Amino acid sequence: MAREVISTGNELSALGAFDAGCMFFGGYPITPSSEVMHEMSDLLPTVGGKFIQMEDEIAGISVALGASMAGTKSMTATSGPGISLKAEQIGLAFIAEVPLVIVNVMRGGPSTGLPTRVSQADIGQAQYPTHGDYASITLCAGSLEECYTQTVRGFNLAEKYMTPVFVLLDETVGHMHGKAMLPDLEEVKASIVNRKRFDGKPEDYRPYDVPMNEAAVLNPMFEGYRFHFTGLHHGPTGFPTEDAAQCQFNIERLVGKINTVAAENDGLDDEADYEEFMMDDAEVCMIAYGSISRGAKEAVMKLRNDGIKAGLFRPIVLWPSPAKKLKEIGQKFDKIFVTELNMGQYLKEIERVMGRSDFGTLHKANGRPIAPLEMVAKVKEMF
Amino acid sequence: MRHTIRFTGVGGQGVLLAGEIMAAAKIKMGGHGLKTATYTSQVRGGATVVDITLDDNEIFYPYANEGEIDFMLSVANVSYQQFKNGVKPGGIIVVEPNLVHPTEEDRQKWIIVEIPIITIAKEEVGNVITQSVVALGITNEFTGVLEPETLKEVMLSKVPKKVHEVNNKAWDLGIKYAKEAKAKIGM
Repeated sequence: MAREVISTGNELSALGAFDAGCMFFGGYPITPSSEVMHEMSDLLPTVGGKFIQMEDEIAGISVALGASMAGTKSMTATSGPGISLKAEQIGLAFIAEVPLVIVNVMRGGPSTGLPTRVSQADIGQAQYPTHGDYASITLCAGSLEECYTQTVRGFNLAEKYMTPVFVLLDETVGHMHGKAMLPDLEEVKASIVNRKRFDGKPEDYRPYDVPMNEAAVLNPMFEGYRFHFTGLHHGPTGFPTEDAAQCQFNIERLVGKINTVAAENDGLDDEADYEEFMMDDAEVCMIAYGSISRGAKEAVMKLRNDGIKAGLFRPIVLWPSPAKKLKEIGQKFDKIFVTELNMGQYLKEIERVMGRSDFGTLHKANGRPIAPLEMVAKVKEMF
Repeated sequence: MRHTIRFTGVGGQGVLLAGEIMAAAKIKMGGHGLKTATYTSQVRGGATVVDITLDDNEIFYPYANEGEIDFMLSVANVSYQQFKNGVKPGGIIVVEPNLVHPTEEDRQKWIIVEIPIITIAKEEVGNVITQSVVALGITNEFTGVLEPETLKEVMLSKVPKKVHEVNNKAWDLGIKYAKEAKAKIGM
Protein backbone atom coordinates (compact mmCIF):
# COMPACT_ATOMS: atom_id res chain seq x y z
CA MET A 1 0.00 0.00 0.00
CA ALA A 2 1.21 3.49 -0.80
CA ARG A 3 2.23 5.42 2.27
CA GLU A 4 1.06 8.97 2.94
CA VAL A 5 3.58 10.98 4.91
CA ILE A 6 3.99 14.62 5.85
CA SER A 7 7.63 15.52 5.66
CA THR A 8 10.39 17.48 3.95
CA GLY A 9 12.47 16.57 0.91
CA ASN A 10 15.64 16.19 2.93
CA GLU A 11 14.00 13.84 5.43
CA LEU A 12 12.44 11.82 2.62
CA SER A 13 15.79 11.49 0.87
CA ALA A 14 17.16 9.99 4.08
CA LEU A 15 14.16 7.66 4.36
CA GLY A 16 14.68 6.57 0.75
CA ALA A 17 18.30 5.73 1.53
CA PHE A 18 17.22 3.81 4.61
CA ASP A 19 14.57 1.82 2.72
CA ALA A 20 17.08 1.13 -0.08
CA GLY A 21 19.30 -0.66 2.41
CA CYS A 22 21.84 2.05 3.19
CA MET A 23 23.69 1.02 6.35
CA PHE A 24 26.37 3.71 6.54
CA PHE A 25 26.37 7.48 6.46
CA GLY A 26 29.48 9.60 6.69
CA GLY A 27 29.33 13.34 6.29
CA TYR A 28 29.63 16.84 7.60
CA PRO A 29 26.70 19.23 8.14
CA ILE A 30 26.10 21.99 5.63
CA THR A 31 23.08 24.17 4.84
CA PRO A 32 20.72 23.33 3.18
CA SER A 33 21.41 19.59 3.35
CA SER A 34 21.97 19.01 7.08
CA GLU A 35 18.55 17.47 7.73
CA VAL A 36 19.52 14.52 5.53
CA MET A 37 22.26 13.64 7.99
CA HIS A 38 20.13 14.48 11.05
CA GLU A 39 17.55 12.00 9.83
CA MET A 40 20.16 9.34 9.03
CA SER A 41 21.57 9.70 12.53
CA ASP A 42 18.10 8.80 13.85
CA LEU A 43 17.34 6.02 11.39
CA LEU A 44 20.58 4.05 11.03
CA PRO A 45 21.14 3.05 14.68
CA THR A 46 17.64 1.49 14.77
CA VAL A 47 18.81 -1.31 12.45
CA GLY A 48 22.46 -1.60 13.48
CA GLY A 49 23.65 0.77 10.75
CA LYS A 50 26.48 3.18 11.35
CA PHE A 51 26.39 6.96 11.30
CA ILE A 52 29.37 9.20 11.75
CA GLN A 53 29.82 12.94 11.58
CA MET A 54 33.41 13.52 10.51
CA GLU A 55 35.71 16.49 10.98
CA ASP A 56 35.13 17.84 7.48
CA GLU A 57 33.58 17.13 4.08
CA ILE A 58 36.63 15.26 2.77
CA ALA A 59 36.68 12.89 5.73
CA GLY A 60 32.91 12.48 5.36
CA ILE A 61 33.14 11.04 1.87
CA SER A 62 36.30 9.12 2.70
CA VAL A 63 34.66 7.03 5.40
CA ALA A 64 31.56 6.57 3.24
CA LEU A 65 33.77 5.24 0.43
CA GLY A 66 35.58 2.95 2.85
CA ALA A 67 32.27 1.52 4.05
CA SER A 68 31.21 0.85 0.49
CA MET A 69 34.56 -0.85 -0.26
CA ALA A 70 33.76 -3.14 2.65
CA GLY A 71 30.50 -4.05 0.93
CA THR A 72 28.04 -1.80 2.78
CA LYS A 73 25.60 0.45 0.98
CA SER A 74 26.76 3.89 1.83
CA MET A 75 25.85 7.52 1.45
CA THR A 76 27.00 11.05 2.03
CA ALA A 77 25.01 14.27 1.69
CA THR A 78 26.18 17.81 1.22
CA SER A 79 25.74 20.98 -0.81
CA GLY A 80 27.82 22.46 -3.63
CA PRO A 81 30.76 23.65 -1.49
CA GLY A 82 30.96 20.15 -0.03
CA ILE A 83 31.07 18.56 -3.48
CA SER A 84 33.98 20.89 -4.33
CA LEU A 85 35.84 19.59 -1.28
CA LYS A 86 34.94 15.98 -1.98
CA ALA A 87 36.05 16.19 -5.62
CA GLU A 88 39.24 14.18 -5.17
CA GLN A 89 37.53 11.25 -3.48
CA ILE A 90 34.71 11.32 -6.02
CA GLY A 91 37.42 10.69 -8.61
CA LEU A 92 38.61 7.69 -6.61
CA ALA A 93 35.05 6.35 -6.55
CA PHE A 94 34.86 6.69 -10.34
CA ILE A 95 38.15 4.99 -11.17
CA ALA A 96 38.03 2.32 -8.45
CA GLU A 97 34.32 1.75 -9.28
CA VAL A 98 33.01 2.08 -5.76
CA PRO A 99 29.24 2.55 -5.48
CA LEU A 100 28.23 5.59 -3.46
CA VAL A 101 25.17 7.82 -3.29
CA ILE A 102 25.99 11.52 -3.01
CA VAL A 103 23.04 13.77 -2.26
CA ASN A 104 23.62 17.41 -3.17
CA VAL A 105 21.01 19.87 -1.91
CA MET A 106 21.88 22.79 -4.14
CA ARG A 107 22.36 26.35 -2.85
CA GLY A 108 23.73 29.49 -4.44
CA GLY A 109 27.42 29.52 -5.40
CA PRO A 110 30.21 29.68 -6.35
CA SER A 111 32.20 29.16 -3.15
CA THR A 112 30.09 29.64 -0.01
CA GLY A 113 27.71 31.72 -2.14
CA LEU A 114 24.18 31.93 -0.75
CA PRO A 115 23.97 29.28 1.98
CA THR A 116 20.22 29.39 2.65
CA ARG A 117 18.97 30.09 -0.84
CA VAL A 118 17.88 27.96 -3.73
CA SER A 119 19.93 27.31 -6.85
CA GLN A 120 20.41 24.80 -9.65
CA ALA A 121 23.93 25.84 -10.43
CA ASP A 122 25.60 22.49 -9.67
CA ILE A 123 24.28 20.79 -12.81
CA GLY A 124 27.60 21.18 -14.62
CA GLN A 125 29.52 20.21 -11.50
CA ALA A 126 27.50 17.00 -11.24
CA GLN A 127 28.44 16.08 -14.80
CA TYR A 128 32.16 16.68 -14.27
CA PRO A 129 32.81 16.92 -10.51
CA THR A 130 36.47 15.94 -10.71
CA HIS A 131 39.37 15.71 -13.15
CA GLY A 132 39.83 12.94 -15.69
CA ASP A 133 37.47 11.07 -17.99
CA TYR A 134 34.40 9.26 -16.69
CA ALA A 135 30.61 9.44 -17.05
CA SER A 136 28.33 10.69 -14.31
CA ILE A 137 24.91 9.46 -13.32
CA THR A 138 22.86 12.38 -11.97
CA LEU A 139 19.23 12.22 -10.87
CA CYS A 140 17.20 15.31 -10.06
CA ALA A 141 14.17 15.31 -7.74
CA GLY A 142 11.29 17.65 -8.51
CA SER A 143 8.88 16.66 -5.75
CA LEU A 144 8.77 15.33 -2.20
CA GLU A 145 7.98 11.83 -3.54
CA GLU A 146 10.99 11.98 -5.82
CA CYS A 147 13.33 12.94 -3.00
CA TYR A 148 12.47 9.46 -1.76
CA THR A 149 12.18 7.51 -5.01
CA GLN A 150 15.21 9.02 -6.74
CA THR A 151 17.38 8.32 -3.69
CA VAL A 152 16.26 4.66 -3.78
CA ARG A 153 17.01 4.67 -7.50
CA GLY A 154 20.41 6.23 -6.84
CA PHE A 155 21.38 3.27 -4.66
CA ASN A 156 20.16 0.78 -7.26
CA LEU A 157 22.06 2.49 -10.07
CA ALA A 158 25.21 2.81 -7.96
CA GLU A 159 25.17 -0.93 -7.27
CA LYS A 160 24.30 -1.87 -10.83
CA TYR A 161 26.91 0.32 -12.52
CA MET A 162 29.49 0.35 -9.70
CA THR A 163 29.85 4.11 -9.66
CA PRO A 164 29.08 7.17 -7.54
CA VAL A 165 25.58 8.52 -8.25
CA PHE A 166 24.48 12.09 -7.64
CA VAL A 167 20.99 12.77 -6.36
CA LEU A 168 20.30 16.46 -6.76
CA LEU A 169 17.80 18.22 -4.55
CA ASP A 170 17.71 21.95 -4.12
CA GLU A 171 16.93 24.20 -1.18
CA THR A 172 13.28 24.45 -2.20
CA VAL A 173 12.47 20.74 -2.48
CA GLY A 174 14.86 19.87 0.33
CA HIS A 175 13.12 22.13 2.85
CA MET A 176 9.62 22.06 1.41
CA HIS A 177 7.18 20.59 3.92
CA GLY A 178 4.05 18.82 2.77
CA LYS A 179 2.36 15.61 1.74
CA ALA A 180 4.09 12.83 -0.13
CA MET A 181 2.69 9.50 -1.31
CA LEU A 182 5.51 7.00 -1.02
CA PRO A 183 5.46 3.68 -2.87
CA ASP A 184 4.59 0.52 -0.99
CA LEU A 185 7.54 -0.57 1.14
CA GLU A 186 7.39 -4.17 -0.08
CA GLU A 187 7.55 -2.94 -3.67
CA VAL A 188 10.56 -0.81 -2.82
CA LYS A 189 12.27 -3.76 -1.16
CA ALA A 190 11.51 -5.95 -4.19
CA SER A 191 13.17 -3.40 -6.49
CA ILE A 192 16.47 -3.34 -4.63
CA VAL A 193 19.58 -4.05 -6.68
CA ASN A 194 22.68 -5.47 -5.05
CA ARG A 195 26.14 -5.40 -6.57
CA LYS A 196 27.37 -8.53 -8.34
CA ARG A 197 29.61 -10.93 -6.45
CA PHE A 198 32.24 -13.36 -7.60
CA ASP A 199 31.65 -16.77 -6.01
CA GLY A 200 34.52 -18.74 -7.56
CA LYS A 201 37.85 -19.60 -5.99
CA PRO A 202 39.61 -16.63 -4.39
CA GLU A 203 42.75 -17.30 -6.46
CA ASP A 204 40.68 -16.92 -9.67
CA TYR A 205 39.23 -13.57 -8.66
CA ARG A 206 39.93 -10.72 -11.14
CA PRO A 207 37.58 -7.85 -10.09
CA TYR A 208 38.51 -5.49 -12.91
CA ASP A 209 38.87 -8.11 -15.64
CA VAL A 210 35.49 -7.41 -17.20
CA PRO A 211 34.40 -6.88 -20.83
CA MET A 212 34.02 -3.45 -22.44
CA ASN A 213 31.07 -1.42 -21.08
CA GLU A 214 30.58 -3.69 -18.07
CA ALA A 215 31.08 -2.76 -14.43
CA ALA A 216 33.78 -4.18 -12.17
CA VAL A 217 32.75 -7.03 -9.85
CA LEU A 218 33.93 -5.98 -6.41
CA ASN A 219 33.45 -8.41 -3.56
CA PRO A 220 33.33 -7.01 -0.03
CA MET A 221 36.69 -6.68 1.63
CA PHE A 222 37.73 -9.09 4.41
CA GLU A 223 36.00 -12.14 2.94
CA GLY A 224 39.05 -13.79 1.50
CA TYR A 225 38.84 -12.26 -1.97
CA ARG A 226 41.99 -10.17 -2.13
CA PHE A 227 42.40 -7.29 -4.50
CA HIS A 228 43.74 -3.76 -4.55
CA PHE A 229 41.93 -0.42 -4.49
CA THR A 230 43.79 2.45 -6.10
CA GLY A 231 43.24 5.77 -7.79
CA LEU A 232 45.96 4.83 -10.27
CA HIS A 233 45.14 3.09 -13.49
CA HIS A 234 44.99 -0.59 -12.72
CA GLY A 235 44.89 -4.02 -14.27
CA PRO A 236 42.65 -7.06 -13.57
CA THR A 237 43.43 -7.38 -9.83
CA GLY A 238 43.49 -3.66 -9.14
CA PHE A 239 47.25 -3.24 -9.00
CA PRO A 240 48.68 -0.19 -10.78
CA THR A 241 49.63 -0.35 -14.41
CA GLU A 242 50.70 2.10 -17.09
CA ASP A 243 50.12 -0.31 -19.93
CA ALA A 244 48.87 1.85 -22.80
CA ALA A 245 46.23 -0.55 -24.08
CA GLN A 246 44.94 -1.26 -20.56
CA CYS A 247 44.69 2.45 -19.68
CA GLN A 248 42.78 3.23 -22.87
CA PHE A 249 40.47 0.27 -22.26
CA ASN A 250 39.87 1.37 -18.64
CA ILE A 251 38.64 4.82 -19.61
CA GLU A 252 36.59 3.64 -22.57
CA ARG A 253 34.94 1.15 -20.25
CA LEU A 254 34.34 3.73 -17.47
CA VAL A 255 32.59 6.06 -19.90
CA GLY A 256 30.96 3.32 -21.95
CA LYS A 257 29.46 1.37 -19.04
CA ILE A 258 27.23 4.41 -18.47
CA ASN A 259 26.95 6.52 -21.63
CA THR A 260 27.01 3.77 -24.25
CA VAL A 261 24.78 1.49 -22.21
CA ALA A 262 22.24 4.29 -21.60
CA ALA A 263 22.19 5.22 -25.30
CA GLU A 264 21.81 1.61 -26.45
CA ASN A 265 19.11 0.71 -23.93
CA ASP A 266 17.29 4.03 -23.91
CA GLY A 267 18.15 4.68 -20.29
CA LEU A 268 19.97 3.11 -17.37
CA ASP A 269 16.98 1.28 -15.91
CA ASP A 270 13.25 0.78 -16.41
CA GLU A 271 12.21 3.87 -14.46
CA ALA A 272 11.11 7.15 -15.97
CA ASP A 273 13.97 9.36 -17.17
CA TYR A 274 11.64 12.32 -17.68
CA GLU A 275 8.09 13.56 -17.16
CA GLU A 276 5.83 15.02 -19.82
CA PHE A 277 3.17 17.40 -18.52
CA MET A 278 0.33 18.45 -20.85
CA MET A 279 2.56 17.82 -23.87
CA ASP A 280 0.05 16.02 -26.12
CA ASP A 281 -1.45 19.06 -27.82
CA ALA A 282 1.19 21.61 -26.80
CA GLU A 283 2.40 24.25 -29.24
CA VAL A 284 5.14 25.52 -26.98
CA CYS A 285 7.37 23.18 -24.97
CA MET A 286 8.78 24.44 -21.70
CA ILE A 287 11.81 22.59 -20.34
CA ALA A 288 12.59 22.76 -16.61
CA TYR A 289 13.76 20.35 -13.90
CA GLY A 290 13.96 20.18 -10.12
CA SER A 291 11.99 22.70 -8.07
CA ILE A 292 11.80 25.13 -10.99
CA SER A 293 9.62 22.64 -12.86
CA ARG A 294 6.94 23.17 -10.20
CA GLY A 295 6.54 26.83 -11.11
CA ALA A 296 6.69 25.80 -14.77
CA LYS A 297 3.69 23.48 -14.28
CA GLU A 298 1.69 26.39 -12.90
CA ALA A 299 2.89 28.52 -15.79
CA VAL A 300 1.66 25.84 -18.22
CA MET A 301 -1.80 26.03 -16.65
CA LYS A 302 -1.86 29.82 -16.58
CA LEU A 303 -0.77 29.97 -20.23
CA ARG A 304 -3.52 27.54 -21.20
CA ASN A 305 -6.04 29.74 -19.38
CA ASP A 306 -4.79 32.57 -21.57
CA GLY A 307 -5.24 30.50 -24.74
CA ILE A 308 -1.63 29.36 -25.26
CA LYS A 309 -1.24 25.60 -25.39
CA ALA A 310 1.89 25.04 -23.34
CA GLY A 311 3.43 21.80 -22.14
CA LEU A 312 6.36 20.89 -19.92
CA PHE A 313 9.21 18.47 -20.46
CA ARG A 314 10.99 17.69 -17.21
CA PRO A 315 14.19 15.62 -17.26
CA ILE A 316 14.63 13.48 -14.12
CA VAL A 317 17.88 11.82 -15.16
CA LEU A 318 20.04 14.82 -16.02
CA TRP A 319 23.20 12.83 -16.82
CA PRO A 320 23.39 10.99 -19.08
CA SER A 321 20.77 13.30 -20.59
CA PRO A 322 17.60 11.83 -22.15
CA ALA A 323 19.12 12.72 -25.53
CA LYS A 324 16.81 10.68 -27.74
CA LYS A 325 13.70 12.32 -26.30
CA LEU A 326 15.26 15.80 -26.29
CA LYS A 327 16.17 15.39 -29.95
CA GLU A 328 12.59 14.40 -30.76
CA ILE A 329 11.29 17.50 -28.98
CA GLY A 330 13.79 19.65 -30.85
CA GLN A 331 12.40 18.34 -34.13
CA LYS A 332 8.74 18.48 -33.15
CA PHE A 333 8.50 21.92 -31.57
CA ASP A 334 9.06 25.22 -33.22
CA LYS A 335 8.81 27.05 -29.91
CA ILE A 336 10.91 25.79 -27.01
CA PHE A 337 11.40 27.62 -23.73
CA VAL A 338 14.12 26.71 -21.23
CA THR A 339 14.17 27.96 -17.65
CA GLU A 340 16.74 27.14 -14.95
CA LEU A 341 18.05 28.58 -11.73
CA ASN A 342 21.53 29.08 -13.16
CA MET A 343 23.01 30.93 -16.10
CA GLY A 344 22.22 28.21 -18.64
CA GLN A 345 24.06 25.05 -17.62
CA TYR A 346 21.55 22.55 -18.98
CA LEU A 347 20.67 24.86 -21.85
CA LYS A 348 24.10 24.01 -23.29
CA GLU A 349 23.24 20.30 -23.27
CA ILE A 350 19.83 20.97 -24.84
CA GLU A 351 21.49 23.06 -27.56
CA ARG A 352 24.07 20.32 -28.17
CA VAL A 353 21.49 17.56 -28.44
CA MET A 354 18.94 19.49 -30.50
CA GLY A 355 21.51 21.19 -32.71
CA ARG A 356 19.75 24.54 -32.45
CA SER A 357 19.80 27.51 -30.12
CA ASP A 358 16.70 29.53 -30.98
CA PHE A 359 15.04 29.09 -27.60
CA GLY A 360 13.10 31.36 -25.33
CA THR A 361 14.96 31.38 -22.02
CA LEU A 362 14.66 32.56 -18.43
CA HIS A 363 17.68 32.09 -16.21
CA LYS A 364 18.25 33.43 -12.72
CA ALA A 365 21.15 33.16 -10.31
CA ASN A 366 20.14 35.36 -7.38
CA GLY A 367 19.00 32.68 -4.96
CA ARG A 368 15.32 33.36 -5.53
CA PRO A 369 12.83 30.95 -7.10
CA ILE A 370 11.30 31.77 -10.48
CA ALA A 371 7.61 32.65 -10.18
CA PRO A 372 5.11 31.19 -12.66
CA LEU A 373 4.05 34.67 -13.79
CA GLU A 374 7.64 35.55 -14.74
CA MET A 375 7.73 32.46 -16.95
CA VAL A 376 4.32 33.26 -18.43
CA ALA A 377 5.48 36.73 -19.44
CA LYS A 378 8.62 35.35 -21.09
CA VAL A 379 6.77 32.62 -22.96
CA LYS A 380 4.26 35.17 -24.28
CA GLU A 381 7.15 37.14 -25.77
CA MET A 382 7.70 34.17 -28.10
CA PHE A 383 4.32 34.70 -29.78
CA MET B 1 -9.86 27.21 -3.88
CA ARG B 2 -6.36 28.28 -2.98
CA HIS B 3 -5.37 30.11 0.17
CA THR B 4 -1.97 31.62 0.65
CA ILE B 5 -0.83 32.75 4.04
CA ARG B 6 2.47 34.34 4.97
CA PHE B 7 4.15 34.47 8.39
CA THR B 8 7.06 36.80 8.81
CA GLY B 9 9.38 37.21 11.72
CA VAL B 10 13.01 36.83 12.58
CA GLY B 11 14.95 33.61 13.07
CA GLY B 12 14.18 31.89 16.36
CA GLN B 13 10.59 33.08 16.77
CA GLY B 14 9.00 29.78 15.81
CA VAL B 15 7.22 30.92 12.66
CA LEU B 16 8.60 27.93 10.76
CA LEU B 17 6.82 25.45 13.00
CA ALA B 18 3.55 27.38 12.85
CA GLY B 19 3.65 27.06 9.06
CA GLU B 20 4.27 23.33 9.21
CA ILE B 21 1.32 22.90 11.55
CA MET B 22 -1.06 24.69 9.18
CA ALA B 23 0.09 22.65 6.15
CA ALA B 24 -0.21 19.40 8.11
CA ALA B 25 -3.73 20.29 9.29
CA LYS B 26 -4.90 20.86 5.71
CA ILE B 27 -3.42 17.52 4.68
CA LYS B 28 -5.18 15.83 7.61
CA MET B 29 -8.42 17.33 6.29
CA GLY B 30 -7.81 15.52 2.99
CA GLY B 31 -6.37 18.44 1.01
CA HIS B 32 -2.93 19.64 0.08
CA GLY B 33 -0.69 21.93 2.08
CA LEU B 34 2.85 23.10 1.46
CA LYS B 35 5.13 25.17 3.62
CA THR B 36 8.25 26.84 2.35
CA ALA B 37 10.53 29.14 4.26
CA THR B 38 13.06 31.69 3.19
CA TYR B 39 15.61 32.77 5.69
CA THR B 40 19.03 34.35 5.79
CA SER B 41 22.29 32.81 6.87
CA GLN B 42 22.03 34.59 10.23
CA VAL B 43 20.97 32.02 12.85
CA ARG B 44 18.95 34.47 14.93
CA GLY B 45 17.70 37.89 14.02
CA GLY B 46 17.60 37.50 10.24
CA ALA B 47 14.39 38.17 8.34
CA THR B 48 12.36 34.98 7.96
CA VAL B 49 9.33 34.46 5.77
CA VAL B 50 7.14 31.40 5.71
CA ASP B 51 4.67 30.84 2.88
CA ILE B 52 1.82 28.44 3.43
CA THR B 53 -0.24 27.31 0.46
CA LEU B 54 -3.45 25.40 1.15
CA ASP B 55 -5.54 23.90 -1.63
CA ASP B 56 -7.94 21.04 -2.29
CA ASN B 57 -5.92 20.26 -5.43
CA GLU B 58 -2.23 19.50 -5.87
CA ILE B 59 0.07 22.48 -5.36
CA PHE B 60 3.02 22.81 -7.71
CA TYR B 61 4.69 26.18 -7.14
CA PRO B 62 5.35 26.08 -3.40
CA TYR B 63 5.79 29.80 -2.77
CA ALA B 64 3.13 32.46 -2.59
CA ASN B 65 2.69 34.42 -5.79
CA GLU B 66 3.59 38.00 -4.93
CA GLY B 67 0.46 40.11 -4.75
CA GLU B 68 -1.84 37.12 -4.21
CA ILE B 69 -1.43 36.53 -0.47
CA ASP B 70 -4.72 36.58 1.44
CA PHE B 71 -3.38 36.97 4.95
CA MET B 72 -0.07 37.87 6.55
CA LEU B 73 1.02 37.90 10.15
CA SER B 74 4.17 39.70 11.18
CA VAL B 75 6.09 39.90 14.43
CA ALA B 76 9.19 41.74 13.21
CA ASN B 77 9.50 45.06 11.42
CA VAL B 78 12.47 44.11 9.24
CA SER B 79 10.58 41.21 7.67
CA TYR B 80 7.27 43.09 7.60
CA GLN B 81 8.79 45.83 5.47
CA GLN B 82 10.59 43.37 3.23
CA PHE B 83 7.67 41.03 2.53
CA LYS B 84 4.47 43.08 2.92
CA ASN B 85 4.09 43.68 -0.81
CA GLY B 86 3.19 40.04 -1.37
CA VAL B 87 -0.20 40.70 0.20
CA LYS B 88 -3.01 41.47 -2.23
CA PRO B 89 -4.62 44.92 -1.96
CA GLY B 90 -7.36 44.79 0.66
CA GLY B 91 -5.76 41.72 2.29
CA ILE B 92 -5.44 41.39 6.04
CA ILE B 93 -2.14 41.92 7.84
CA VAL B 94 -1.96 41.20 11.57
CA VAL B 95 1.00 42.89 13.22
CA GLU B 96 2.53 42.93 16.69
CA PRO B 97 2.19 46.71 17.26
CA ASN B 98 5.13 46.92 19.67
CA LEU B 99 7.52 45.61 17.03
CA VAL B 100 6.01 46.31 13.62
CA HIS B 101 5.39 49.81 12.34
CA PRO B 102 3.15 50.04 9.28
CA THR B 103 3.09 53.33 7.38
CA GLU B 104 -0.06 55.39 6.73
CA GLU B 105 0.14 54.25 3.12
CA ASP B 106 0.10 50.62 4.27
CA ARG B 107 -3.07 51.29 6.26
CA GLN B 108 -4.74 52.57 3.10
CA LYS B 109 -3.69 49.58 1.06
CA TRP B 110 -4.37 46.72 3.48
CA ILE B 111 -6.51 45.99 6.51
CA ILE B 112 -3.90 46.30 9.24
CA VAL B 113 -4.89 44.67 12.52
CA GLU B 114 -2.83 45.27 15.65
CA ILE B 115 -2.65 42.46 18.20
CA PRO B 116 0.18 42.41 20.76
CA ILE B 117 1.01 38.76 20.09
CA ILE B 118 4.28 38.67 21.98
CA THR B 119 2.94 40.55 24.99
CA ILE B 120 0.01 38.11 25.14
CA ALA B 121 2.37 35.13 25.06
CA LYS B 122 4.74 36.63 27.61
CA GLU B 123 2.30 38.11 30.10
CA GLU B 124 -1.02 36.32 29.72
CA VAL B 125 0.17 32.83 28.78
CA GLY B 126 3.39 33.22 30.72
CA ASN B 127 5.72 31.76 28.11
CA VAL B 128 7.07 33.76 25.16
CA ILE B 129 7.67 30.60 23.13
CA THR B 130 3.90 30.15 22.80
CA GLN B 131 3.72 33.21 20.52
CA SER B 132 3.58 30.93 17.49
CA VAL B 133 0.51 29.19 18.90
CA VAL B 134 -1.15 32.53 19.69
CA ALA B 135 -0.41 33.39 16.05
CA LEU B 136 -1.95 30.11 14.85
CA GLY B 137 -5.19 30.83 16.70
CA ILE B 138 -5.33 34.36 15.32
CA THR B 139 -4.59 33.22 11.77
CA ASN B 140 -7.26 30.58 11.70
CA GLU B 141 -9.85 32.84 13.28
CA PHE B 142 -9.23 35.43 10.54
CA THR B 143 -8.90 33.10 7.56
CA GLY B 144 -11.28 30.33 8.59
CA VAL B 145 -9.47 28.00 6.20
CA LEU B 146 -8.92 25.07 8.55
CA GLU B 147 -11.13 23.14 10.93
CA PRO B 148 -10.13 24.59 14.31
CA GLU B 149 -10.22 21.19 16.02
CA THR B 150 -7.92 19.58 13.42
CA LEU B 151 -5.48 22.47 13.57
CA LYS B 152 -5.41 22.38 17.37
CA GLU B 153 -4.92 18.61 17.36
CA VAL B 154 -1.94 18.85 14.98
CA MET B 155 -0.50 21.70 17.06
CA LEU B 156 -0.71 19.62 20.25
CA SER B 157 0.90 16.64 18.49
CA LYS B 158 3.97 18.80 17.80
CA VAL B 159 4.58 19.89 21.39
CA PRO B 160 5.46 17.81 24.47
CA LYS B 161 2.54 16.75 26.68
CA LYS B 162 3.76 18.72 29.67
CA VAL B 163 3.22 21.98 27.80
CA HIS B 164 -0.20 21.11 26.36
CA GLU B 165 -1.94 23.26 28.94
CA VAL B 166 -0.02 26.46 28.18
CA ASN B 167 -0.38 25.88 24.47
CA ASN B 168 -4.13 25.38 24.83
CA LYS B 169 -4.22 28.65 26.71
CA ALA B 170 -2.19 30.37 23.98
CA TRP B 171 -4.53 28.97 21.33
CA ASP B 172 -7.66 30.18 23.17
CA LEU B 173 -6.19 33.63 23.74
CA GLY B 174 -5.25 33.91 20.05
CA ILE B 175 -8.84 33.21 19.06
CA LYS B 176 -10.23 35.56 21.71
CA TYR B 177 -8.05 38.48 20.61
CA ALA B 178 -8.75 37.80 16.94
CA LYS B 179 -12.51 37.80 17.59
CA GLU B 180 -12.25 41.12 19.41
CA ALA B 181 -10.14 42.60 16.62
CA LYS B 182 -12.59 41.37 14.00
CA ALA B 183 -15.50 42.95 15.87
CA LYS B 184 -13.62 46.23 16.00
CA ILE B 185 -13.19 46.38 12.23
CA GLY B 186 -16.69 45.09 11.60
CA MET B 187 -15.72 41.69 10.21
